[in-house]
Amino acid sequence: MAERIAIVGVGQTHHKSKRPDVTTAELCAEAVERCLEDAGMQMKDIDHLVMGSFEVADGYYSPDKWIIPELGVVGKSGLEMQNVGTTGGVVAAASFNSAATGLFDAVLCLAWQKMDEAAGAFGRGGGGANEYWTGQFPMSPITNFARRTYAYMDRSGCTEEHIAIVRVKQDQCAMKNEYAQLRLGLTVEKVMQDVLLAWPIRRLHMCPTTAGAAACIVCPEEKAKKVTNKPVWVEDWLTCHQGGALTMAEDPTASTLRYACNVVYKRCGITNPLKEIQAWEVYEPASPAELRWIEEVGICEDYTAWKLFEQNKVGIDKEVPFNPSGGVTATNPIGATPVVRLVEAVLQVRGDAGEHQIQGKIERALATGYGGQGENVIMLLRKSL
Amino acid sequence: MSTEEKQEPEFIQFRYPRQVTYHHALGYQSKFANGLKQGRILATKCPVDGRCTIPPRIVCPFHHVRQTEWVDQGQRGRLISAFKINFPMFNSRTGELQNWENPIIAVELEGGARMDGWCAEMDPEKLKTGMLMEAVWRPEEERQGRADDILYWKPVEE
Repeated sequence: MAERIAIVGVGQTHHKSKRPDVTTAELCAEAVERCLEDAGMQMKDIDHLVMGSFEVADGYYSPDKWIIPELGVVGKSGLEMQNVGTTGGVVAAASFNSAATGLFDAVLCLAWQKMDEAAGAFGRGGGGANEYWTGQFPMSPITNFARRTYAYMDRSGCTEEHIAIVRVKQDQCAMKNEYAQLRLGLTVEKVMQDVLLAWPIRRLHMCPTTAGAAACIVCPEEKAKKVTNKPVWVEDWLTCHQGGALTMAEDPTASTLRYACNVVYKRCGITNPLKEIQAWEVYEPASPAELRWIEEVGICEDYTAWKLFEQNKVGIDKEVPFNPSGGVTATNPIGATPVVRLVEAVLQVRGDAGEHQIQGKIERALATGYGGQGENVIMLLRKSL
Repeated sequence: MSTEEKQEPEFIQFRYPRQVTYHHALGYQSKFANGLKQGRILATKCPVDGRCTIPPRIVCPFHHVRQTEWVDQGQRGRLISAFKINFPMFNSRTGELQNWENPIIAVELEGGARMDGWCAEMDPEKLKTGMLMEAVWRPEEERQGRADDILYWKPVEE
């Protein structure tokens, strides 16, 4: 029987486009220090570490060699993982798995990315994911979401202006989040006049390149109750990595998010997601992705989410409280991004999100990680047991 | 003046000037590669629901049953999606940044499998979902068993 587990502390860096003042390892230490302080714990209390970044976007191999000594955790048990954009998601899921075994008292979950060190090369593509199948195309998240959005607009009636409204809403949220990287004061006109990367994707629609790290500490129930008086329970979690096969063959707009959410909802008895989950931090690598993801998590019918934006129903303290932190188009330390979502969801449940806190009781929050061609990691949090 | 001047943080630049040639085994997908050399697009077919998939696979990703039947997908298909890149991106074959004039499209072939390709029509405004497209191949002697043996897809008048 698995242990019930809770997150007892969270920490993240103030995310920036460039951090020449720190090494990757020092950046990680910054997030870990904040996390330990938040939990009121010390490194000696941690007995297992799960860590990772998307190595291609950093330019380091075996980053544990550089980071473990910097954190002062030499000799502790641990795992290093990587999985493109979902890296932070699989790191979190593995830390949940580890804590749920009951083998450890406190598991440190750490993910990072220092994209300023690879000159944003990842966004400019290359077939490297699988040279035989994708090498003839300059594939990247930009082309992935150009393709998805073309099909979405074709099916839904959504226009470029609607997508610009989504981006403005994301920016309005980010403006209230001191940790967010891009806080721009955007208008619909400004978004629509921005540089076109691959129609209908403009530069402002894509997630930026970010230097940042995020961490949390996960404990089994007994330890969690000793450490903090406001544990955030991890009610359920799921990794779903059948992306290309499960979704794109059927529907070029789809990800595995719907499938993964349905599995988790069923296990947790959730029948009305919008009513039963009060805060959402869902990994949207491009602003139009937020439209499809709102549909896939079960908030509205397929190809109608753009109407919610047209009616100004999405945002902090609105009918659909989606990505109150500003989300991924404001901040994207790619390997760490799912853990940033998790940290933000924890803050919402605790009521500690500050200016971007959703008002009212947050009983449940859902955070996700996204990567590749539609893979997802679901992390469902709960305030009470 | 102090002997300890203020240190500004800095980036140190590195390049990776090495060339590595990888030799990736194609395994079961070798039949697909050989088909391309003959100007044929072959896909595996699921014995449970008859779905044809590219990339071909030994087992169906949905039903987890062995796929032994291969089906020629024909030379034509319907356009599913399209986009055109407006900024320099890396050419994976050369390692250089370059501009890309042709749209990239996804096509559902006559046999039901789907694949990506370059489009002959440069103006994305003229591309509509459901349009009939036809494969245009490299000359046989230039084919290497790779997906870019198909040079591009061109719209077919109906």
